[in-house]
Amino acid sequence: MISIKNIHKKFGKLHVLKGIDAHIAEKEVVVIIGPSGSGKSTLLRCINYLEEPTEGEIIVDGIPLTSEANINKVREEVGMVFQRFNLFPHKSVLDNVKLAPMTVRKMPKAEAEKIALDLLEKVGLADKAHAYPEQLSGGQQQRVAIARALAMRPKVMLFDEPTSALDPEMVKEVLDVMKSLAHEGMTMAIVTHEMGFAREVGDRVLFMDEGRLVEEGTPDEIFSHAKEERTQSFLSKIL
Amino acid sequence: MNFDFDLIVRSFPLLLVGAGVTVQITAFSVSLGMLIGMFVGIARLSNTWIIKTLAAVYVDFIRGTPLLVQIFLIYFALPIIVGQRIDPFIAAITACSINSGAYVAEIFRGGIQSIDKGQMEAGRSLGMTWGQTMRHIILPQAFKRIIPPLGNEFIAMMKDSSLVSVIGFEELTRRGQLIIARTYGSFEIWLSVAFIYLIMTFTISRLVDYLERRYKIDDKH
Repeated sequence: MISIKNIHKKFGKLHVLKGIDAHIAEKEVVVIIGPSGSGKSTLLRCINYLEEPTEGEIIVDGIPLTSEANINKVREEVGMVFQRFNLFPHKSVLDNVKLAPMTVRKMPKAEAEKIALDLLEKVGLADKAHAYPEQLSGGQQQRVAIARALAMRPKVMLFDEPTSALDPEMVKEVLDVMKSLAHEGMTMAIVTHEMGFAREVGDRVLFMDEGRLVEEGTPDEIFSHAKEERTQSFLSKIL
Repeated sequence: MNFDFDLIVRSFPLLLVGAGVTVQITAFSVSLGMLIGMFVGIARLSNTWIIKTLAAVYVDFIRGTPLLVQIFLIYFALPIIVGQRIDPFIAAITACSINSGAYVAEIFRGGIQSIDKGQMEAGRSLGMTWGQTMRHIILPQAFKRIIPPLGNEFIAMMKDSSLVSVIGFEELTRRGQLIIARTYGSFEIWLSVAFIYLIMTFTISRLVDYLERRYKIDDKH
C-alpha cells in the first residue's frame, strides 16, 4: 500500500532522515517508536508530503508522489490525525467533518452530512454535532479529528502522536477508537509513545533513532527480544 | 474676533454635500483596496518568486511614497502616457484604492500569518487544494482578527481622501476651501470641516467596535 524508498530529509544543515526504506501492506497496522528527534513524525509527514523529502521516493496505492496533482490525489486517500488536533475552530463539529467531502469530493450536502453524522456516532460524539471545537475536551476533539479524516473514506490513516497532547484520563477514549479502526482492517501508520497500545494493536513495530530505521519486527520481537542495543536501551528506559 | 455662526449654518448644506462625496470616495477606495489588498497579501505569501516579488515591490513603492505624489502621478503624469485626460473622480478613486490596497495587503498578510500553520496542514491533509484551504479555513479566521486594523485603515483613508482636493475634486475639504474663498470665514469653515470629519470617523470607529464585539461573541458561541 505504501512504499518508502531511501528517503532523506534535511532541514537546512539538520539531516533528519538518513535513508529510510519501509513498506506498509494493506490492512497492516505499523507503529513507529523511538526517542524524540529521531525523525518518526517527519517520516510520517513525508508519506502525505506535508514534508517534501529531500531525496527518495514514496509510492502510495500505486501513485508516486511526484506532481502536485498526484500529491492531492494521495492526500484524498490518506487521512491524517495530528498531535494538536487542528480542528477548524470557526466551524461546528459537523461542519468540520463534512467540509472535505463537500469541497474535494463534491459530495451533495445531504449525503456529506449523513456520512458525518454516522462517523460522529461511531466515535461516540453524535450529540456534539452542533458544538464548536473549543467546547470539547481534548479527547473529544481528537475523536472529531479522526471522524473528519475518515469522512474522506481514506485507504490509509496516519496518526502523529495522537494522544501526546491529551490529559491522561482521555488517552483511552482515543486509543479505543483507533483500536476499533484497526479491527475493521484499516491500514494505519502510527507514531506514538503508548507502548502498551503498540504491543496490543500493532502488526509491526519500527524503531527509529537519529534518522535511521534501527530495527523492525512484530511487537513481540521488538518489545521482548530486541536485537539491537539501541532498541534495548531505549525500551529499558520507558518500559 | 467675530465668530459668524450664521455663516456656519448657511454653509452647512454645501459642506454636507462635500462630506457625502468624501464618504463615496472612501467607501469605493476601501472596498477596492480590500480586494486588491486581499490578493496582494496572499501573493506576498506565495512560494512563487515572481509573484512574491511583484507584490513586495507594489507594497514598498506605495508605502514609500506620499499619497499626494501618487495622486499627482495618476492625475497629471498618467495622462501624458495614455494621451487622454483622466476624470478627477476616477483619478481620485484609483489613487486612493491603489494606496489603500498596499496597507490592506500588509494587514491581510499579518492576519493570515497569525493563523496556526496546523490549520493549513489539516486542510491539505484532507485533500483540499491550497486555494480551497485558504478560502474555507484560513481567510475566514484571519478576517475576524483583522477587523480592528481594517477599521483603522478605513478611518485613515477617510482623512487622507482630503488630499484629492488638490486635483480640484470637490469633496469635503475642497468644498471648505471654496466657501472660504468666497466668504473669508476661515475659522468658522475649517472648524465645521474638522467637526464633520470627526463625526464621520467617530461613527466608523463605533461601528468597528460593534463588529469586533459581535465576532468575539460569535467566537464563543
